[in-house]
Amino acid sequence: MKMKRIVSIKFVLLITLLTGLIVSCTDDFLDVPVQGGVSTSTDPNLAQDLVTGLYNTLLQGDSWGNGDVHGFAFISVTSIMSDDASKGSTATDQAIPVGDIDNFTLTSTNKFCESLWSGHYNGIGAANRTLAELKKAAISESQKKQLMGEVRFIRGYLYFNMVRMYGGVPLVLRVPVNEADASSDPAFSVRAPALQVYDSIVVDLQYAVDNLSLKGVYAPGRATKGAAQSMLAKVYMYRASNPANPNPNADWQKVYDLTDAVITSGNYSLATDYATIWRQVGDNNNESIFEIQTGEFDNSNLKIDNYTVCQGPRVGGLGGWNDLGWGFNNPTPSLLSAYEPGDLRKASTIISIDNSGAHVGTVLWDGFRIPSSDSVQNLFYNYKAYTSTALDPSGKPLEEFKNPGDKDRPKNIRILRYADVLLMNAEAAVHLGTGDPDGKVNLIRDRADLAPKGGVTIADIWQERHVELAMEHDRFWDLVRQGNAEAVMHAAGKTNFVAGKHELLPIPNSQILLSGNQLTQNPNY
Amino acid sequence: MRKILLLSFLLLSLGIEALAQSRTVNGQVTGADDGQPIPGVNIIVQGTNKGTTTDMNGKYSIELAAGENVLVYTFVGYKAQTIEVGQREVIDVVLLIDATELEEVVVVGYGIQKKSDITGSTANVKGEELTKQPVLTATQAIQGKVAGVQIISSGQPGSSPQIRVRGVSTALAGTTSLYVVDGVLTDDISNINTADIVDMNILKDASSAAIYGSRGANGVIIITTKKGVEGAIKVTYNNNIGIRQAANLVEMANSAEYNNYVQAATGSAPPASSYDTDWYNTILRNAWQQTHNISLSSGTDKATYLFNVGYLQDQGIVIDNEFKRLTLRFNNEYKITDKIKFGLQSSYGNSINENGFGNINIDAYGNIGSVYNDAYRAAPIIADIENGLYGNTSAYQNVGNPLLDVKNNSVKVKENRLQGSTYLEVKPLTWLTFRSTIGGDWRNSLNRLYEYQFFNDENTFLVAGGNQYRAQSKLSVSQSQSFRWVWDNMITLYKKFDKHDITLLVGTTAEEYNLHWFSASRLDVPADPSLWYIGVGDANTSQNAGGGDAWARNSYLARLNYAYNEKYLLTATVRRDGSSRLPSQNRWQVYPSVGLGWIMSRENFMQGQNIFDLLKIRASYGKVGNDQIPTNAFTQTVAQNKPYPYSGYTTPSTNGDQINQLIDPNITWETTEEFDVAIEFAFLQSKLTGELNYYKKNVNNALIFKPLLVTWGFDLDHLILTNAASIQNNGIEAVLNWTDKVNDNFSYTISGNVTLNKNKVVDLNGGLPIYSGGIGAAQGFTTITDIGQPIGSFYVLDVIGVFNSAADVAAYQDADGNMIQPSANPGDFKYRDKDGDGVIDINKDKVYAGSYQPVAYFGLNLGANFKNWDFSLSLYGNVGNEVYNGKKAVRVSGTDNIEKEIAYNRWTPSNKSQSEPAANSGNMYASTYFVESGSFLRINNLTIGYTFPSSLLQKIKISSLRVFATSQNLFTLKKYSGFTPELPGDPVSSGIELSSYPTTRTIAMGLNVGF
Repeated sequence: MKMKRIVSIKFVLLITLLTGLIVSCTDDFLDVPVQGGVSTSTDPNLAQDLVTGLYNTLLQGDSWGNGDVHGFAFISVTSIMSDDASKGSTATDQAIPVGDIDNFTLTSTNKFCESLWSGHYNGIGAANRTLAELKKAAISESQKKQLMGEVRFIRGYLYFNMVRMYGGVPLVLRVPVNEADASSDPAFSVRAPALQVYDSIVVDLQYAVDNLSLKGVYAPGRATKGAAQSMLAKVYMYRASNPANPNPNADWQKVYDLTDAVITSGNYSLATDYATIWRQVGDNNNESIFEIQTGEFDNSNLKIDNYTVCQGPRVGGLGGWNDLGWGFNNPTPSLLSAYEPGDLRKASTIISIDNSGAHVGTVLWDGFRIPSSDSVQNLFYNYKAYTSTALDPSGKPLEEFKNPGDKDRPKNIRILRYADVLLMNAEAAVHLGTGDPDGKVNLIRDRADLAPKGGVTIADIWQERHVELAMEHDRFWDLVRQGNAEAVMHAAGKTNFVAGKHELLPIPNSQILLSGNQLTQNPNY
Repeated sequence: MRKILLLSFLLLSLGIEALAQSRTVNGQVTGADDGQPIPGVNIIVQGTNKGTTTDMNGKYSIELAAGENVLVYTFVGYKAQTIEVGQREVIDVVLLIDATELEEVVVVGYGIQKKSDITGSTANVKGEELTKQPVLTATQAIQGKVAGVQIISSGQPGSSPQIRVRGVSTALAGTTSLYVVDGVLTDDISNINTADIVDMNILKDASSAAIYGSRGANGVIIITTKKGVEGAIKVTYNNNIGIRQAANLVEMANSAEYNNYVQAATGSAPPASSYDTDWYNTILRNAWQQTHNISLSSGTDKATYLFNVGYLQDQGIVIDNEFKRLTLRFNNEYKITDKIKFGLQSSYGNSINENGFGNINIDAYGNIGSVYNDAYRAAPIIADIENGLYGNTSAYQNVGNPLLDVKNNSVKVKENRLQGSTYLEVKPLTWLTFRSTIGGDWRNSLNRLYEYQFFNDENTFLVAGGNQYRAQSKLSVSQSQSFRWVWDNMITLYKKFDKHDITLLVGTTAEEYNLHWFSASRLDVPADPSLWYIGVGDANTSQNAGGGDAWARNSYLARLNYAYNEKYLLTATVRRDGSSRLPSQNRWQVYPSVGLGWIMSRENFMQGQNIFDLLKIRASYGKVGNDQIPTNAFTQTVAQNKPYPYSGYTTPSTNGDQINQLIDPNITWETTEEFDVAIEFAFLQSKLTGELNYYKKNVNNALIFKPLLVTWGFDLDHLILTNAASIQNNGIEAVLNWTDKVNDNFSYTISGNVTLNKNKVVDLNGGLPIYSGGIGAAQGFTTITDIGQPIGSFYVLDVIGVFNSAADVAAYQDADGNMIQPSANPGDFKYRDKDGDGVIDINKDKVYAGSYQPVAYFGLNLGANFKNWDFSLSLYGNVGNEVYNGKKAVRVSGTDNIEKEIAYNRWTPSNKSQSEPAANSGNMYASTYFVESGSFLRINNLTIGYTFPSSLLQKIKISSLRVFATSQNLFTLKKYSGFTPELPGDPVSSGIELSSYPTTRTIAMGLNVGF
């Protein structure tokens, strides 16, 4: 009896020991790394890759969702909102939010305003993160300066868009350590005054001017010294035009000096044929200063979502042809009448649908024929957004796309070009009473096949800006800068425009709510 | 001499007095079942503390004083007897077996326990209750049967319902209860054939679920599958064949109504048309469903075997949808020696789901919308299909043709799942058991999507145009494989001596999971199904992706069960859990719990009364946790494949990275603390039984996806997962069951349960209120989670009426005489200016408008047996919950269709409704107009069956045959104007109906045959 008991106890102990051994999982058992999750320490080129990721944020075009920088929302607030364009498409299509933007009936719940806000802060956040990573990166000083210059150029550009769209905005220049840090620092939720934002933009762009290389040293998509100088000039021009500025001429001098540096660098000249500027053959040409690049990735088009398809001519009425897009952003009669007779630029900017009754249709530069108005939804479309799938006589496509069947084909967006620099230089020259404004303006008029002008005034320069940069996302902000937005809008038929309100977009309501009402709304919204 | 006489007289008188005042009663107590004497029977003189017990031979002897006339005999397992003594000196008593006290045994974590010994809150549903209902998963079948458990289901075939135990506790989207199937932990029982289930035990409170520690936060459902039975081979066959149809569809406007509305809303009439399409009718159908099960079981005293085969086929109510599933189960148990037992439960499931989609994503071509969204919005004036050509809804109104949405692609999902567990139980001593169980769950799924090529021209549509087209066909294939194993090692010590009954359980478990998936797609694949392979597509368009997941858990646990004298109960549990999903500084957590019970009805002082057959009081306190967060929640990862083409189209893009997710590196366990107290009772010979239970449950550090301010940094979805709040639920559950056997031919049961629950947010961990429920259009956030209010309460503008005229608009002024809504027109909503500042501000004027959580939910189950007929009816309902009609709210275009009710009841100058606005183009603010009552009462199941008498069956060599007719979701009484008031969702934004699948009604017949 006793023997058996001892054996049984041994048996029990053995089992317990075995159990203990088997299941004494060490802490290693619970150290399971994230599967497929690349961490910040596994990528040796993290800083350079983050710079590319930052450029990638410029391609955001999720207008109804997570963020838009150059997509449909961008088109809406720079072009459709102006006197140069109207919504387009059918009457009820995107009546909200685009119709609201067009007619100045927009409210703080406008989806496009919200996606522009988040898209730009996505980019700003990526820029802050990239700068933090660059500071620690194990790369040469010169490479560091170049990359930091590029990042600060983009950050400056994003804040420039923000201050033109919303006025003063929260000035976020660092990555928060954690949630507690972000919620306790007022910089993240209190709007800095517009002039303070301008100061920050100037600092960023000046660093870029000082540290970036000239055009041609690196790939054309990267920011260059010339791009930074031109962008900085534009910033000074806007600041100079701000009525609250006590000393505008100091800023006009800066505009003049910077644009002069770009002109005398010899790296840029006007393209001979205006019509080719926005075509693929004109990508990164001699006139281009800074373009948002598009192309191909992972066997499909790499583009800004919806940029081209939303502006493509739309089938309507009798139908019967495979159309090119959704039909938004139609040039207005007001824009059409702004061109002087004989101006080459009109035919290159506006697609006019045949409304004559003769059913000739409209033939585009590559031979594509759009039927007459009884089969087309609207009467005018933006020619500069057109992408071609036509083939040349040998069968090679005139414009190359990875996926030409997809109507939403890529197109580079020309943010800055030499003509703009010439006009800024001329405007500064007139303000300061120096330089050669006539010469600059006439270079542009000559290309447009117009007679030269003498003794150009500000109004002449503004007129030239209007028709030279039509449908290029410059008009609305330029009008506000010029100070006569209300008069021009009312004259163009947009009578809902209220001065003191509609120069700015409303701050998105959801963000005001999330900030605990620390974000204040723009006046009269 | 005199002294002696006096003494004698005294003695005599004493004796006479003694004779007059006390007497002795004796006798023997035997059991009615076997006639054997019962030792240890308690005999008490009623009204006193005097008592005795029977000896080894069942004999007793007891003295009674004057005035004492009643004896009470009690013994566990037998009905107590109260006997008037009268003049008798010998009383032999025969005790009857007490049926209620025959111990029902319940499966608790890692063991079994007698129902009477349980100190926590559990409920049990038998397999027969589940199989009666034609549902896909057993979880759906327990709706309305268990107090405190709310089952929220979607009608989609192949989908699992969401479970909430005692209010919204754990705060993560999609978190379900923990399922334990034969000891194997799993989160998904869609592969388990309901016919294989013996019973389901639901552990509701923290003290009973604490044994599962980190996964017990939303309750634990323990499922036991059938085992073989000793004896000759027994074969049974069950089937169930019926029709399923959409129930409670919302009626949409027809063409005439639509035309009037659009004219009024946009000012221009829609194009003339001869069509009048009912889109829901086009895409929905009556669907067949059938289930067949065959079961073979046999056994000897050494081994038992069970083999089940099941086949289920369910056509969905959406055309082209079909779900098929085959399950095989093999359970067996072997007694290797007296002391060693070995068991194996294994099941294999194979399912194919064709075209079972609810959603077709917007693709690069702008092919829009889900089938249900489109069916809601599409105008009736466009044809669905005529002579093979589709009506072109997108040309007219930017909505895809719903019929084409279904037909323009083909989806097939094949899933294989092998799940099983094996255990070895060794009992070296009578009081010591050692058990080791290994369970595994292997899943493999293959998903193939083919999108047809079609153009928006006259070959596809009646009218060309619009943006519903696909320039190139696309084939996408993905495959995923996962494996999960669980290994438990448990030691149980059991000792019963004197009146003490002790069980001690000590053990450890370890668990690991691995998943790996990859996908590939190519364009330009022909439309012939035999060519739907990636290799056939254009290699120049090839894309691929892949990833995986892994996690592990490890735990140590111990549980002590102690019962004293079978009346006083104590259960104490402690468990230490570690999980790989949490950062190392927060990895381990301890979960204790304790429960006490008192079976009052077994007390001596309760033996005389015959009101209570059972009266038990119990109370418990426990802590459980939740770690069900994504495995990458606290690790900063880098998102790859963010390219930029530095040289435009001329050279390939350069690849880039982004860090686009803000994380909380200090994330920690979410813990639930619960206190529970209850009375269980039985009256009237246990005909009436029930339970009344109060609970209070606090969730601390609830894990929530909080929206963050966009300026905080780059985060693609603008959400951060963090321990954001503390939530409290408290409530009462009441259960009453009445069982009556009226005579040999007729018996019936009525059982009902009701749960009242109150939910409140008690802390926000220092943060701001959490806004959620952003559904697009002009709605903004529709819910708020704030201190003092239920989680995810609706927070919207308050509609107080409709303006009837311009004068009305002018008259709506603030204290200073300024118009509050100066730009309003007659027919627009009048909103309440809550903060009195004279302006309707969509942030500051919002009010709390109720919660999606019901104030009470209840179930009523009736059953009756009359001769060979059986009948059962179960009802289920919710009271007090609100629903947000998101479908109505996201209307953004004047050409979208409207509900018939709106077409008729809208405000017009001649019909000055105060609850409906004038015809409009949508884009309305979030307001109480969209908040509707979600109270409903549903006839969940109605079944009638007939069991053939065995005399008839002997001739055909069948041992039993029952035929039945059953219906599921026969009828729903609801106030809500949308499709269904039952809306699963994320706790901070639930109860919002957006693109819900309509609920379905099933009517079926079947038979149960035993051979």
